[in-house]
Amino acid sequence: MASKSYMRVENVVKKFGPFTALDDVDLDIAPGEVHALLGDNGAGKSTLIKILSGVHQPTSGSIYVDDKKIFFRNPRDAAAAGIGTVYQDLAINQLMSVTRNFFMGRELTSTFGVLRMDEMDKIAHEEMKKIGIDFSDPSQAVGTMSGGQRQTLAIARAIYFGAKVLILDEPTSALGQKQQMEVLKTIKRVRARGDIAIIFITHNEIHSKLIADRYTFLALGKVIGAGTKKELAGEDIRRLMAGGAEMADLEQELSAI
Amino acid sequence: MTDRSESDRLQKENWFQRTVRRPEIGAFIVMMIIIVALAMASGGKAFNALGLKNNVAIIAQLGIIATGAALLMIAGEFDLSIGPMIAFAGMSIAIMLKWGLPFGLGEATPFLAFLITLLMTLAFGWLIGTIVVKSGLSSFIVTLAFWFFLRGLTEVCFRLINQNTNVSGLPDFKKESWFAEQMGGEVFGWFFDAWYWVGTKFSAGLEFTADMTKSEKIELINYLSFLNINRKMEQWVTGFDARLLWFIIIAGAAWYVLARTQLGSWIYATGDNKESARANGVPVNRVKVGLFMFSAFCATIFATCQVLDTNSSDAAKGMFKELEAIAIAVVGGILMTGGFGTIVGVVFGAITFGLVANAVFFIPWIDGAWFRVFVGTVLLLAVFANERIRKRITGGI
Repeated sequence: MASKSYMRVENVVKKFGPFTALDDVDLDIAPGEVHALLGDNGAGKSTLIKILSGVHQPTSGSIYVDDKKIFFRNPRDAAAAGIGTVYQDLAINQLMSVTRNFFMGRELTSTFGVLRMDEMDKIAHEEMKKIGIDFSDPSQAVGTMSGGQRQTLAIARAIYFGAKVLILDEPTSALGQKQQMEVLKTIKRVRARGDIAIIFITHNEIHSKLIADRYTFLALGKVIGAGTKKELAGEDIRRLMAGGAEMADLEQELSAI
Repeated sequence: MTDRSESDRLQKENWFQRTVRRPEIGAFIVMMIIIVALAMASGGKAFNALGLKNNVAIIAQLGIIATGAALLMIAGEFDLSIGPMIAFAGMSIAIMLKWGLPFGLGEATPFLAFLITLLMTLAFGWLIGTIVVKSGLSSFIVTLAFWFFLRGLTEVCFRLINQNTNVSGLPDFKKESWFAEQMGGEVFGWFFDAWYWVGTKFSAGLEFTADMTKSEKIELINYLSFLNINRKMEQWVTGFDARLLWFIIIAGAAWYVLARTQLGSWIYATGDNKESARANGVPVNRVKVGLFMFSAFCATIFATCQVLDTNSSDAAKGMFKELEAIAIAVVGGILMTGGFGTIVGVVFGAITFGLVANAVFFIPWIDGAWFRVFVGTVLLLAVFANERIRKRITGGI
């Protein structure tokens, strides 16, 4: 995996008042790669992806896209630079149809803002089919779809609207076993395209081992480990996931209670 | 492995099943029941020429403000200031028509009075909306504050400028002003002309004669009233109140915007989940502020029609109208939590409410207060029905 990186994060620091959420974080994202971002609750994963997607602005440090230094003032800037974020809540509206969700905020219109509904139905159907689900009725409310399908909708949407970097915020955490596997398959299909970089945020060691090419571990706002799958042995991953604490320590502590 | 996919679990429905499950179906059934019940209880009088005109007048009046309230509710907000906004706009127009334009700029025409008033009400709508979106406070409490503020302001302005809380006996502007005729006059005269024309075919040879008994005369008058003919054997009713035209324009535009345009999608998205709408680039705040202004616009149209129709206004105008507008929207299938509902349902709701509100005029033995008993009952049932629909769509969450 020697492919050229598409996005680079260098020495990013984010402070909320006196609280340092991120301290000197580096990240390297390359197309065709699944980059797993791991860490415990409160490690700063969410803050980092919010910076990458333009929701927060870094206190210091820089972000490069295609070797150009850029600054995201808002999510629109980030989207324009090809950063597509799929949040945990998926930014999907349950009462609205599949098509309306797919094009939410970016509807195809003719004069006077009139929707080109047939065209939108067709595109939504095709784009979702490409990465794995074939749904029968584009006017179906999203509330009637399964969790895995919703995830696919959100991913297909981000890709269709030009995401070069796809940020997936714990895409498997709220799903059942079978649907988790479906989402992982979807991620694999997106990876196979080769032109999209995926940042995969997860708690789940097994999931990350199944599909990730590269890892970055965060703990208490700092990067405590990074590398490719080969560079990190399985034991290392587990140790880093636990926030760097030795598993042995943990076992001792547990048995002492 | 089987070839079953997730999408197979969604049952395919035929035309009838789809229709029955439409969100407006409840409002439609209630409306049909009311139409039939009213026709029977009034001996048909509610739908003779004059009955229809009067019923349509109040339906249109309620429908105009309910449309504004409904769009706002779909976007997830309430407007309790509709009633006071009506009173304020009515006061403003009536006072300008009576005392002239502000700052001694001379006589006011109905159109100028309307335009200046509209600028003020839109500004209030903008202010309410901006306070709601900037503060993040519940629109319930912000518009409740404006309920008191505008009611008070209306009365104060009346007393300061007019020394009295009502303006009456304004000249009838409808003859000289085209605008006044379109707001307070009559429209669709052809409908009643055609009715009369058909009526004459059925009334040929009928006439009042000296030897008729009183009951025979009453029977004949009743019969003629269904032919749009009065007791002098002339055309009885000449047109609908102009409000109908405005109701059709406003509800038609609102329906089109919701069902067919980008703005409509944004309104639904804003009310459904504003955070996810915002994350997708929907200008949530602008949508909301715009809809508060639209609600103020609807209230202003309501008031303008009222003033130019009756040539009067007073500080108590629009009383309870905000509550009726919200009730109509809910009965029409708009979810209290936003994000769902159609204008077709709201039109059904407005027809139902208009007919019931007017029923007392056609059924003399009924106590008018039953109207509110009915509203309360239907409102509660509608909320339960809407909640069922929401749960069905969201999978019971």
